[in-house]
Amino acid sequence: MTSTFAVDLEKTSRTANVGIVLLFLLFGAAGIRYSFYFHFFTVAFFFLILLNLHWRYGQRTHTLLANFGFLAQTRYIVESIGPEFRQYLFASDTEERPFSRVERAEVYRKAKGIDSSEAFGTLLDFGDKELKLRHSFYPADKDDLDAFDVAVGAARGLDTTYHVRRPIMISAMSYGALGQNAVRSLARGAKLAGTVMNTGEGGYPKYHLMEGCDLTFQMGTAKFGVRTEDGHLDESKLAALAALDQIKMVEIKLSQGAKPGKGGLLPKEKVTDEIAELRGVRLGHDVISPAHHVECTCAASTVEFIGRIQQVSGLPTGIKFCLGRPDELRAMVQEMGRQDTFPDFITVDGGEGGTGAAPKSFMDDLGLPLFTALPLVHRILQEEGARDRLVVFAAGKLVSPGRQLKALSLGADVAYSARGFLLALGCIQALQCNRNTCPVGITTHQAHLQRGLDIEDKAQRVANYVGALHHDHVELLAAMGTTSSHRLSEKNMYLPAQTTMPSPDKELS
Amino acid sequence: MKHPLLTRAAQGIAAMLLLMAAAMKFLGDPGSVEVFMRLGMDPAGRYLIAAIELMAAMLLLSPFAALGSVIATGVMCGAIIAHVTQLGLVVNDDGGRLFGMLVVVLVCVGYVLISRRKEIPLIGNTL
Repeated sequence: MTSTFAVDLEKTSRTANVGIVLLFLLFGAAGIRYSFYFHFFTVAFFFLILLNLHWRYGQRTHTLLANFGFLAQTRYIVESIGPEFRQYLFASDTEERPFSRVERAEVYRKAKGIDSSEAFGTLLDFGDKELKLRHSFYPADKDDLDAFDVAVGAARGLDTTYHVRRPIMISAMSYGALGQNAVRSLARGAKLAGTVMNTGEGGYPKYHLMEGCDLTFQMGTAKFGVRTEDGHLDESKLAALAALDQIKMVEIKLSQGAKPGKGGLLPKEKVTDEIAELRGVRLGHDVISPAHHVECTCAASTVEFIGRIQQVSGLPTGIKFCLGRPDELRAMVQEMGRQDTFPDFITVDGGEGGTGAAPKSFMDDLGLPLFTALPLVHRILQEEGARDRLVVFAAGKLVSPGRQLKALSLGADVAYSARGFLLALGCIQALQCNRNTCPVGITTHQAHLQRGLDIEDKAQRVANYVGALHHDHVELLAAMGTTSSHRLSEKNMYLPAQTTMPSPDKELS
Repeated sequence: MKHPLLTRAAQGIAAMLLLMAAAMKFLGDPGSVEVFMRLGMDPAGRYLIAAIELMAAMLLLSPFAALGSVIATGVMCGAIIAHVTQLGLVVNDDGGRLFGMLVVVLVCVGYVLISRRKEIPLIGNTL
């Protein structure tokens, strides 16, 4: 750096440290000599001097404060309000994470039923490094499109086969992670929109059941709601739940994208009396689920467990995981073949998820991203002859119709989204989901924060969002010259040459 | 944060005395008018100080007691300056009663300030 102007922090702060003492004396004198009002400043500087003495000679934990005194405090203060400032003022429309303002605005507009068309070109990078959908010279006639219909459980010929008729489903979020108003808004919205909602692993889905929507019951590794005292499966409880008219599918959570290889975690701040009761856990402790189902220790036992749940529930039953090692998945699929027990669906959760609280390194460093995992899962299932025995759901930042169609092209049948629906509920991405302080009342149990979340209004937004996504889904399919999402394949995608996507030769075991 | 009864008692006593002081100033009690006349601050300064005392008292009774104690300590320091530089310890032959009250409040809010210093906005984590 050849800067000619530089602030010498040391000299400045030394001046400032002496300066406040001089000012204190000055104002004190003025207060005595001229007007008593000057003593407001005398007192203020007196406090500042005391503080400064403490910072410089009293405390030992903050080096900057010890070396430079109160001026260094401005750094801590500015830093503490930095995230808000960056979001409000300085973050560009495309650089925010996890969702940029462009991505969020699309969801907001869809949820509010506002036209989301744009002018003068894309705001995103548009080169040869991004995944793209391929359109066709010969778009299909929208009237010729098959209605969206994915039959879950049809491969086993179940009476309880469930037809998913919307291309987007509400992914797993429990009461506990979300407050009751948020859960009920989502449930009522799902009912309005005719889609299915996942209960999450939060035990008996009391609030999910209130609004009459179709539900997928998720059984986490702690089996909240269907567990015995020692954490094993209580078959009678599961059978009773599965017998409820609203419960259409059962999802066994093996792992999740936010923290693959680790159990779910509900911070103790969010464990209310009611949650403790619905889940059967103690108050005042973080609720930590085991890292895996006690029954599932190898491929054989896992597949057996899947078969057992299918037997007990009588419903389409699938598994959810975030992919780590393809060889393990292949072994499990082979085992499914040996036992002739296939789950009715597989939910592939991208490592980039999600709404859960998780240790930072689990969030950041573990698990394959969705668009890497999906083609692997798809190909392994195909090679092992299992692809026709089950359907594949995909989750992982699928908040826009484009990303959803990409997931469908890469091997999924239906898209799942959790955070998309939180945005539809009015999430402002304050990133406080784990602190019970959500300013928009979604991931909190504090009544005064939930007060502003109007269930009726937000349910309509959820329904609007699903409707708009379905509309765009149809439009995109038609533009791609395809009459059904079942016909999508990797051929409908442009995969960049320098992609992280697995090629046939690598990454496969 | 959970604090011992002593802290809460100190908050209560200080808030009560501050409310009384504020009320006397607002109602134009001859004694306080006299005091503020001598400081050359009547009536604007009297109302200003009363308002600050009222605010500090309310904060002391709220979850923001730490902030209230900072403000109250400031007012009390100002009052001490007034007594030391202009009024004297005995005002209107009260035998130091006014000054005594002041010391009581100062001790109370000082104690609250020290025991709740971690809760002071922005700088609490460095104290």
